[in-house]
Amino acid sequence: MRIAAIIIWPVTAMPFLSHGSYRIRYELDGPPGAPTYVLVNGLTQYSELWGSYRDALTTRHFRVATFDLLGQGISDKPALFIDQDDHTAVLHRLIGELGDGPVFLSGISFGGLIALRYAIEHGARLSGLVPMSCFAELSPQLLLIGNALRTGLILGGTGYLQDLLLPMNLSDQWLKPLLDKLDSVKRQGWLVNDVYALQNLMESFLDFKPLTPLLSSITVPTMILNGEFDFLTPRALHETLRVEIPDSALVIIPKAYHAFTLEKAALTADLLARFAEDVMAGRWKGNKQVLIAPDDAGGDYSPFPAGYDHLRAIPVRRTATT
Amino acid sequence: MNAFLGPLETDGRVQPRQQTRVAAFLVSAHGALARQFAVALPAKFDAAWQVELNAQFYRESEIVSLLARATAWVPDFALTHMVASWEMAWLPAPVEDIADPARAQAIHLATLAHAIHAGIRPAALLPTEASQNDPFVMALRRIEFESSRLLQAQILFLKGPDLLPFRDAVSAALERRHAEVRRLWNETLESIGIVQRE
Repeated sequence: MRIAAIIIWPVTAMPFLSHGSYRIRYELDGPPGAPTYVLVNGLTQYSELWGSYRDALTTRHFRVATFDLLGQGISDKPALFIDQDDHTAVLHRLIGELGDGPVFLSGISFGGLIALRYAIEHGARLSGLVPMSCFAELSPQLLLIGNALRTGLILGGTGYLQDLLLPMNLSDQWLKPLLDKLDSVKRQGWLVNDVYALQNLMESFLDFKPLTPLLSSITVPTMILNGEFDFLTPRALHETLRVEIPDSALVIIPKAYHAFTLEKAALTADLLARFAEDVMAGRWKGNKQVLIAPDDAGGDYSPFPAGYDHLRAIPVRRTATT
Repeated sequence: MNAFLGPLETDGRVQPRQQTRVAAFLVSAHGALARQFAVALPAKFDAAWQVELNAQFYRESEIVSLLARATAWVPDFALTHMVASWEMAWLPAPVEDIADPARAQAIHLATLAHAIHAGIRPAALLPTEASQNDPFVMALRRIEFESSRLLQAQILFLKGPDLLPFRDAVSAALERRHAEVRRLWNETLESIGIVQRE
């Protein structure tokens, strides 16, 4: 069931794609013909959460495509099964709507995984790729956390899943002023996400095959974004991407957690725009570098201190180079 | 038209007319499930899954009982024909490609229960300012919460190994059930001034 979030949404402003018998809600903003950023939601997200990215990126002369994944938000919600291949197929169809101009693809968490799969299957269509808070395989920790989150959803509903994710994925600084109004923060996500649909999305991992052996086939420029304090998908999971994707760089977002796209939208949108501008101007050099993002939009990147191990949380000298 | 129940009464309670229409639909749907689970229950259990069947029967009965007491019922003559159309919709429907009558009956009951438990979210109708002291408000929250738990039995059965060879037939039957239950629910809500976002 699709639940109304605000009073009478204007249907004419909401285009849909078809995927078999299902409808996928999407939105395109910005000038036709401009380079396009396609942004893919995380598990409990919905298209409106990219609103500030639309504003920032269209101001920088990009077109922006957002959509609700199959099973999310206003898109149709298959009752029983959602296959990860369905998401890749939907993404392929959406990108097919964008014409022949440059396409930059970015996704966060679950959406980052879908973006990786797309880049493996259809990389030639992309000009650049930005996986954020992402993973190519389920480490034992991530597998068990995912199982626990699914159990939380089953036993406590969407609200309980949100209760678990909020403190895991956002900083004290972001949460503190919202502590007395968390119900209103959670309400929109609770309204548009149904338990069975979220469960179907989570259960699409039950037969998940690691993507790591396929990552080297991604030849497009790739900027991997990872929050400094992301313990849901920690640095080691992003390191797999950096090591395997030839033209990649790993960028660490300072003082950020898993959901830094929500918490540091201005910075992240700026990093996305700069990456695409650098790629199109021929300035991008991935070189499997490890960089530290600036604290604020417009600041300079810093190289990770030479000789130190970026996989450690304390300054330990690296013993082997990759 | 609004997306939520309302306008609320001055004390934050849901209007009795809206309570009556929503509760009547839920009593019809969950009452049908209770009856059908009761018929499916054997006198003596000889399989573990029958324990879950017993729980489903009593939870459905509890939902009906809760609504009977928590709703501020008012006369509503339109319900006469609405209830008739709802009750017809809960009757078993043939499942294509399933020849075994016992299996088809089990799939019917599971798909109907899945559509009602997953597709009907009564708590999502409540505006943020709804009174916490209104028993009807509390009942809707409880029904939605219980439904998401009851749903797990249907998910386990419909996704389980026994039905994997019939995955397409089961999925098609379930999508049809969802569409039908959603249509009836949306019509009911529209009749009291509520439009669901499609």
